[in-house]
Amino acid sequence: MRVDIQSLGTYNRLAQEGAEHAAASLTGMTGIETYVDVTNVTLMSKRDVEDVFGGTQFVGVQIGLGGGLSGETALAFDRDSAASIVDVLVPGASAGDDDEFDDMARSGISEIGNIMMGGFVDGWADYLSTSVDMTPPTYVERDGTDVLPGGALDRAEEEHVFVFESQMTAVDAEIDAYIYMLPEYGAFAEMLSASEDHDDAIPMDKLTVFDEMTRQGAERAAENVSSMTGIETDVDVSRLSFVPIEDVPNTARDEVYLGTVMEFTGTPGGYLAILFDEPSARTIVDATVPMELDEPLGDMGESAIQEMGNIMTSGFIDGWANVLQTSIDHTPPELVHDLGTAILSPIAGRLGQSQEYAFLMDSTVVTPEGEFNCEIYAIPDEQKLKEALDALLVERSDQLEANRESLF
Amino acid sequence: MKTYGGASSSRARKRVGIADFAVTTDGAVLTTSGLGSCLGIGLRDERAGVAGLIHVMLPTAPEEPPNVAKYADTGVDAVLTAMRDEGASPDRVRAKLAGGSAMFEFDSQDEPIGERNVAVTRTTLDRLGIPVDAEDVGGDSGRSIRFHADTGDLRIKSAGTERRI
Repeated sequence: MRVDIQSLGTYNRLAQEGAEHAAASLTGMTGIETYVDVTNVTLMSKRDVEDVFGGTQFVGVQIGLGGGLSGETALAFDRDSAASIVDVLVPGASAGDDDEFDDMARSGISEIGNIMMGGFVDGWADYLSTSVDMTPPTYVERDGTDVLPGGALDRAEEEHVFVFESQMTAVDAEIDAYIYMLPEYGAFAEMLSASEDHDDAIPMDKLTVFDEMTRQGAERAAENVSSMTGIETDVDVSRLSFVPIEDVPNTARDEVYLGTVMEFTGTPGGYLAILFDEPSARTIVDATVPMELDEPLGDMGESAIQEMGNIMTSGFIDGWANVLQTSIDHTPPELVHDLGTAILSPIAGRLGQSQEYAFLMDSTVVTPEGEFNCEIYAIPDEQKLKEALDALLVERSDQLEANRESLF
Repeated sequence: MKTYGGASSSRARKRVGIADFAVTTDGAVLTTSGLGSCLGIGLRDERAGVAGLIHVMLPTAPEEPPNVAKYADTGVDAVLTAMRDEGASPDRVRAKLAGGSAMFEFDSQDEPIGERNVAVTRTTLDRLGIPVDAEDVGGDSGRSIRFHADTGDLRIKSAGTERRI
């Protein structure tokens, strides 16, 4: 199958509009002003799905879709957000911090879930000029991946799954809600598939290889951090998503980071940002600089982060070069100390001159004891990514597996 | 990105996303964060009590842009139209600018985006006869801004410092 980039863009926009309808419903019913933060479509393997959903307790509803669009959806709130909404929506219902959600609370969540998802689905039905059937909502209160509709994880085991994800946030309150839609693979693949000679089409199997590349790059970068700091690390999340270019900066949190940014100058071209939030940067500096440094981090601390960024960058590039079987040219990593969104904005701007959407590969390096975490963003130039993938023999994906095994 | 709710909100603060704008008629504080090479453009007709803020990412729109708010040239037009719909008179509107930095070497040579965002915005405002009262642009740091629609103050946070123009 070949995936048409433009049609993936169209579906991403539908999901964004759908999420805006859902956010408007949430605002209408609760009076809490909300906005849609990010909408993306992600190609996930089973491991990606487990990484993304692991460890969080969700409350929400699951709704199945049939008719013109078949698949599964879930609307999930983290537990505290669900409790805040219940407080507004069904005063008197029991949904406190330590309480079980009682029947009133559950039906309140089911009702708002049903209304929000109705808004989400309407836009798709309009675009596809078809009707979409929704099953009645099933209330769920579960940990991690269990919030996903049944079977989604099993399907991810056999093949990658497309996951549409929209995050909604309240302006003045700590409320986060997520909409997930997992279209039925076969039908969606057909919707996406392009003719063989389509200029923008990317072969699906190569896209999954690229997903693996990200993981391998992040793992090598993480190994290098471990050997520098002596702190054990792991790659928590590593995924390939597809977002409108103006949403790229929003994928970093609205806080100050330290790290390095560099530009790939060959094929694939693009940008790599390796970012630590300030407490994490402090931990890294304390682990690598053998003396007490002042608060906040000065020149000495920044140069330690620069060094860490250089070493992680070279690990990441080794991972990519291994898959692409080619050398990768890049500018020297530049130190940056600023707001995450500001750091990513020039990258989005430069790429945005020639593309409407971005493939964003984001990974998070974490430690078992939570000493620090590090966010890695690789954002290839669309055209050059396509060239790199065209040049990539699919057999190399087998080689990738072999190399991965020899690594550990 | 759009925000829902609005004028009745008790805090009267409106958040503007990237490639997005907001217009207020009730003196709300319009905010946007994480301006790197992007540019924040605050427009205000004091007498009509109408103000707008836009966060643009690129200087010049292609033909039939899917999102006019992404570009300086089409974005300024879009905010101004929305302000006119709320009773602003274009010949009374005045502007303030913040953002347009060059954060990296790779974005500093060969026509930096931030610089071009500022240049195209100035040209567009000039064509529309809108004077720029104050600006805080360029440099190599990101900015977060709050545009106070009631007073016209533009408050800027950047690299740990705060200033007001």
